[in-house]
Amino acid sequence: MALEFDQSLIGRVFEVTDPVSVTPEKIARFCAAIGETNPLYTDAEAAKKGPYGGLVAPPSFAVMFRNGRNFFEHVPRFGRRGFDAGKDAEFVAPIRPGDSITLTSHVKEVYEKTGRTGSMVFVVIRSTLKNQRDEVVAHIDHRFMNRQ
Amino acid sequence: MKNFSDIQIGNTIGPREQFVSKDECRAFAHSSGFAAPRFTDDEGARKEGLPGMILPGNMSLGLLSKFVTDWIGPEGGAQLVRISTTYRVPVQPDHTLVFQGFVTHSVPEERTAEIDVWIENEEAERLVTGTATVRFDK
Amino acid sequence: MSTTLDLHSHSDASEDSRAPVEAYLNWIKLRRAELPLDGIVLTEHRQFNREADYRPLEDKFGVMVLRASEVETNYGHMLVFGVNDDILARFDFANIRLDAQTLIDEVAKMGGLVVPCHPGRPNIGLCEHYETQPPLGNVVAVEVLNGGSRKGEDERSIELVRRYGYRAVGGSDSHLVSLIGLCATRFDADIRSIDGLVAQLRSGEYQPVDFRPRRKPVPHAVAVETR
Repeated sequence: MALEFDQSLIGRVFEVTDPVSVTPEKIARFCAAIGETNPLYTDAEAAKKGPYGGLVAPPSFAVMFRNGRNFFEHVPRFGRRGFDAGKDAEFVAPIRPGDSITLTSHVKEVYEKTGRTGSMVFVVIRSTLKNQRDEVVAHIDHRFMNRQ
Repeated sequence: MKNFSDIQIGNTIGPREQFVSKDECRAFAHSSGFAAPRFTDDEGARKEGLPGMILPGNMSLGLLSKFVTDWIGPEGGAQLVRISTTYRVPVQPDHTLVFQGFVTHSVPEERTAEIDVWIENEEAERLVTGTATVRFDK
Repeated sequence: MSTTLDLHSHSDASEDSRAPVEAYLNWIKLRRAELPLDGIVLTEHRQFNREADYRPLEDKFGVMVLRASEVETNYGHMLVFGVNDDILARFDFANIRLDAQTLIDEVAKMGGLVVPCHPGRPNIGLCEHYETQPPLGNVVAVEVLNGGSRKGEDERSIELVRRYGYRAVGGSDSHLVSLIGLCATRFDADIRSIDGLVAQLRSGEYQPVDFRPRRKPVPHAVAVETR
């Protein structure tokens, strides 16, 4: 029995978000929340002398950008609830204070498997993050697990 | 500063123990703009069938990424260019988490090293597993 | 001469693993003292790669690579050894609702062998299904040591083996390079091919072996509620 959903969703961009601005405060809040103390990410003066010539966000800051309201309309849903099962994040270029980040997203893959908690459908969403100069800063594959 | 030539397959990273409090978990959930009850209070989490508050997946990813960038060090010389995570078991705050990593593979043409990373609980159960790619400048 | 094989592993051909086969073999070569393995069996999820040729890597690292599959049935997950064209024509490995008894019986007729894996695991292991469905016929061996098991799961598998008289094997179920070979199976005989492995699983002498290091548990931290 194959999974039933609209196959034409695969690969079709369903979302281009409005730009989200990156402020020094947002980076500082993220750093504080994970206990980050690396001066490259926390100390603007020290970071000037570092390899990026200024403060940058820690690489994992890229996963904090979220898809917009189109998400639940265009992503196939199976079962009642979805969980974050994992991510595959590729960090292409640093995100800096003052950047403005846009997400472009499509459904990459849908597949079924069984696990400890029952039958599951995985929906993989690929988001490409670009800055205000249209440069790609990251690709994030987000695996959503839906319990059936 | 680390160079590619210093890296050997089998090198270990950690183990490092880190206590993550409920307040830190809540702070992360609020900073991410996704403060669902399962990330902010035990009662709300139990209503969702969980044993109590859990860390957002992105927090585990952030902590594992930090574990790798701490290993690289503040001098730079290398970058974390990819991390992949699998959330196997919910991570509960107010526990000591153990972070561990192994260099498992390297690609000389790209000056990259592949690293297995994971978060264990006190019973040595792997809660979050992942792989990271670090690229060296030289 | 004996042969020690990790009977359960996933390379980056499985959707939930990022471990290249080459990295697995290099890891085993570098850690031979702790991991005395002769080879690994790749058991990719819900698929079988007919085309892959690992001979150059086997020669480079001196580690044997055999191929099998892990499929999903109404009695949980099962390893299929000795996959051939007849078996692939008969069963759609991508189907997560295969009928376990049909699979076991037909694969055996077509020259292969089905070994239920991690039987003690909730939902995808044999034990839980035996509580609600009749026991399967023609089961030769089950996996009692699995590197991905949580507390109590392997113990349930051992109890199952005691009760039903199944033979026991071990496998790492590795999805990460550094976890390869931590559980394995030691055969009394020399094994050089997948057919040789199937023959030994059916009627040879073997036992599961555990190479997992034991880490001392961290003392529980005192919970501090600061809110």
